[in-house]
Amino acid sequence: MTKRHNKVSLTEKLFTAILSLFFTKKIVRFILFKFHSYFNHHKVSAIGAMLMPFILLFTSLFLKLDNSNKKRLKNKLKHLYPHVSEPISTPANIIRVLLQSIYLAIFQVSTKHQPPETAIKKSTKLISKIVRFVRLIDKKLTRLFKKLWLKLRIGSKNQSYQRVRRATIWNSKLLKITLYFTIAFTVFVFITVPFSLEAQAIYISLILIVAYSLRRVKGQIATITMITLSVTTSTRYLWWRYTDTLNWGDPLALALGMGLLLAETYAWLVLILGFFQTINPLQRKPIPMDGDTAKWPTVDIYIPTYNEPLSVVKPTAIAAQSIDWPADKLNIYILDDGKRPEFAQLAKEIGVGYLDRPDNSHAKAGNMNHAMEYTDGEYIAIFDCDHIPARSFLQMTMGQFMADEKVCLVQTPHHFFSADPFERNLDNHRKIPNENMLFYGLIQDGNDMWDATFFCGSCAVLKRKALDDIGGFAVETVTEDAHTALRMQREGYKTAYINIPQAAGLATDSLSAHVGQRIRWARGMAQIFRLDNPLLGKGLSLVQRLCYINAMLHFLSGIPRIVFLTAPLALIYFNAYIIYAPFFAIFLYIVPTLMQVKITNSRVQGKYRYSFWGEVYESVLAWYILKPTTVALINPNKGKFNVTEKGGLNDTARYDWLISKPYIVLLLINVIGMCYAIFRLLFGDVSQIGVLLISMIWVSYNIIILGAAVAVAAEAKQVRSSHRIKANFPAAIRLENGRTIKVKITDYSDSGVGIETISEHPCRENDKVELLMSRGKKQFSFPTFICNTRKTQIGLTLRDLDLAKQKAFIQCTFSRADAWIDWQENFKHDRPSYSFKHVFITSLRGFTNLIYHAPSQFKPFIILMANIINFVVSLLPKKPIKYYNQYD
Amino acid sequence: MKKIFIKGIKGGTGATSIVANLACALRKSDEDVIAIDLDPKSDLGLHFGLSWEHTSGWSNYLSFESALDEFHIDDDGVIFLPFGTLSASTQRTQKTIESVQQLEINDSAWLLFDCPSHQDIQNYNLSSHDIVLEVINCDAICHSLIYRRLLQLNQSPKKWQHYFLVNNYNSACELESDLLQVWQSETPLLAPVHVNKDEVVKESTAFRNVAVNCAPFSVAHDDFETLASWLVTRAADND
Repeated sequence: MTKRHNKVSLTEKLFTAILSLFFTKKIVRFILFKFHSYFNHHKVSAIGAMLMPFILLFTSLFLKLDNSNKKRLKNKLKHLYPHVSEPISTPANIIRVLLQSIYLAIFQVSTKHQPPETAIKKSTKLISKIVRFVRLIDKKLTRLFKKLWLKLRIGSKNQSYQRVRRATIWNSKLLKITLYFTIAFTVFVFITVPFSLEAQAIYISLILIVAYSLRRVKGQIATITMITLSVTTSTRYLWWRYTDTLNWGDPLALALGMGLLLAETYAWLVLILGFFQTINPLQRKPIPMDGDTAKWPTVDIYIPTYNEPLSVVKPTAIAAQSIDWPADKLNIYILDDGKRPEFAQLAKEIGVGYLDRPDNSHAKAGNMNHAMEYTDGEYIAIFDCDHIPARSFLQMTMGQFMADEKVCLVQTPHHFFSADPFERNLDNHRKIPNENMLFYGLIQDGNDMWDATFFCGSCAVLKRKALDDIGGFAVETVTEDAHTALRMQREGYKTAYINIPQAAGLATDSLSAHVGQRIRWARGMAQIFRLDNPLLGKGLSLVQRLCYINAMLHFLSGIPRIVFLTAPLALIYFNAYIIYAPFFAIFLYIVPTLMQVKITNSRVQGKYRYSFWGEVYESVLAWYILKPTTVALINPNKGKFNVTEKGGLNDTARYDWLISKPYIVLLLINVIGMCYAIFRLLFGDVSQIGVLLISMIWVSYNIIILGAAVAVAAEAKQVRSSHRIKANFPAAIRLENGRTIKVKITDYSDSGVGIETISEHPCRENDKVELLMSRGKKQFSFPTFICNTRKTQIGLTLRDLDLAKQKAFIQCTFSRADAWIDWQENFKHDRPSYSFKHVFITSLRGFTNLIYHAPSQFKPFIILMANIINFVVSLLPKKPIKYYNQYD
Repeated sequence: MKKIFIKGIKGGTGATSIVANLACALRKSDEDVIAIDLDPKSDLGLHFGLSWEHTSGWSNYLSFESALDEFHIDDDGVIFLPFGTLSASTQRTQKTIESVQQLEINDSAWLLFDCPSHQDIQNYNLSSHDIVLEVINCDAICHSLIYRRLLQLNQSPKKWQHYFLVNNYNSACELESDLLQVWQSETPLLAPVHVNKDEVVKESTAFRNVAVNCAPFSVAHDDFETLASWLVTRAADND
């Protein structure tokens, strides 16, 4: 040790001797002192520690390095290089210093804090100016078109116009035919005439401007105009695709291109049929019943159940009893395929019928057919056992049967008071219209226009005579409901839809259950398509056939969706030109057509389905309905469907890896494709940049959609066992001291109520209070306990209610006529750009979910990747720290 | 002017507090209200904040004209006339009712009479525009009394509009809830509104005031408002 010390001191002595040749004694001491401090205290490497004093000496030739100056300089450097860490002389820090110096040299940045009007604002100013300009033009255009449109409409009220309109010449058949022929010819010309690129650009931009400006104009005619334009452009696009864009020279590209083209044809067909289906939704109004109740028909209410718990069936049965209808003409039956004695007991207790059967053949349809043998009501109302009906259900629906005896079915929407898996996992319950809303809000109303309302298995009334005519509920398929309605329609019966929610139920608990249900529907629809094809056979009108075909096509979306999600990869991976056309042609045909279809769809479906969400919903289901539909199409009788269990409570948040596997695979393919595309862009053939860019845009879009699909699989925690239903109706409480306070009921469940008082209340937790609620003239009182209180809010729990009180509670809450009335009012009309933003955010959430929930074997890899990214980011130049100088 | 006669079917049904609260509720919607105490108990004034030491009323004067000084006005602007300490025969009461109508008052004003439960309405010589509210509680005695009264009303053709008004209704009580349901379904002349049992009605008298003033967020407040607006529509039907 000492020897070594001697050795060190020897080198030091030598070093000192050399130094003293050049420097004064004082400086030599300084150098040695600095060296020691750097080497020993700051742990700088020997060479670094040796060099530093000299650097200091060198700088001191130009700068006066006294203590205060040094401090200031140090401070300044710290502000200018905020991310440079100690010790300074690591390779990473050298890169940081270099990059930061370049950054500081190029951009003028000061460390002084400046008032907000600075460079940042200047750059954003330009952007905001542009945005404002675009908005102004948009506003002006829209207003101009509105004015023009109004003028046209007012013009139609002119006398001369009326004279022309009333002229007898319009009744001439020849003229009509000529007119139709001319229209057809014009449309044909518009669709088929090949344009030069310039002409196409002008043509499409004109149409786009019209469509874009019309989108805010109210009225049916504007909608129809937009639909016509969309149909024309999309058909033209398809014509162009078939005639101009197939690559006959390359078999691989031809095959893939044909695949894409078929998928596009499918999308086009669905689009056209969808427009046709929803062009004029009927929005049927209820017809009031005749005042004389003696003439009212008898009604049986069926509540089929199989494995649902008693607590689910009980409210439904009680609410069914409370439906407003003469008691001697209303019979309720629980159809229990589970054959459970406690259900028979319940039925006896509350006074409803109970039916079970020896076997369980044909599931729900068989169950109801069996019940029909033992009951004799003229009409049959059906509620799934978790659909709690409102008291007004029969009043709203039965009038249709009375008005027209050919009516065999009146359907009301299925409304869910709990969040479905999409809503729950994406946390957008009541913010974004759910998957169901498009169907029950718009499509069924559209179907009703064409007398093609579907039977949806629950919340509907059927006419027994019509059922007898077709031999009971159809048992051949797994979707007995749609098939039954189809058969009745074939017999010449009419169907009706009333878009007023008259019952509400629980949505599926988990994504897997949801997907399971959709698989069943898809399978059933494919089965009907094969066994009882609505295009063929007798009895249906053309429009009814088209409506049914559209519904079935909807469930065949599996393959086309997968094609769309992978199509752009053909070019990236295989260099296959699946759309064989110049870059500009592709751009001019696809982008405007897509935009136009989106604008039109947004207008037609805006309140019921937001733009881009349809793609997300479809992408989630695509893989799962692909196989069952294909199997059912090939062999309708093959393939057994497994009932997916309802999960109930999700006590922990988890990620459903099993169900998201297909989308993760698709996502991976797309992400890798994207990386490969970037690689090709940088190092590949220059002539391909255009098509590559288009493919990349498409891939990014697919990645966003798939990201949102992945996000759905993160099963959120489900906290409450009974769902709280938002409400807003008056009630009162009576405190233990006898005082009363009037309150507003804000939410309720089957075991509790949330109330709000007008002013602050004196209640405390665990107080016993009486809740007073009325139903019509009758007032009920419920003993409750306060479980939580806030300023003006109180949470009440109901405990140990006897059967009569339970009945009364359900009558005062779930079966109120207005309980589900406001379900569509919460949603604003769709705005595509906002909707896209939302999908994008959801997609980002999907990616973070993936990382967050990744299985443990991937954890090291993810941590490594995260560290690498963190490190690379830390190398990048940072904005200098701003500080306030009080003396400035 | 609109005349409302409020009378308990038996003693202790809470008719007087209904008169006081109803008067206040009507006054709140800017109606002119005059409440006349016809009950020898002479306790209507107490609801309006009159001191207990003040005992005199119209019965202490020989003629109605000389009793005009006995009209009081409360903080809300309800004009009321206490009964006084002497007793009054049916004829005297009838004469008072007539005299009140002779007063120079607004045509749209309301006259509320707090009638004693023991006197027969029949003797008051009422017209077809007059409304009689017979206050009942949800109990078996009242149930019998209602049918007795109905029988009586059927035998001698009544000229006035008669209604039974349920007071002190407690829906937590099984008997009361059942009885009300029975009455609602089969008893004719039952008023479509009822007044719920509420401690604030009692408590507000301790403040020498009425529940409509003391507890604006109570059910009682709402009940009296509903009652008032129902009477307004009834009176409008008469005109």
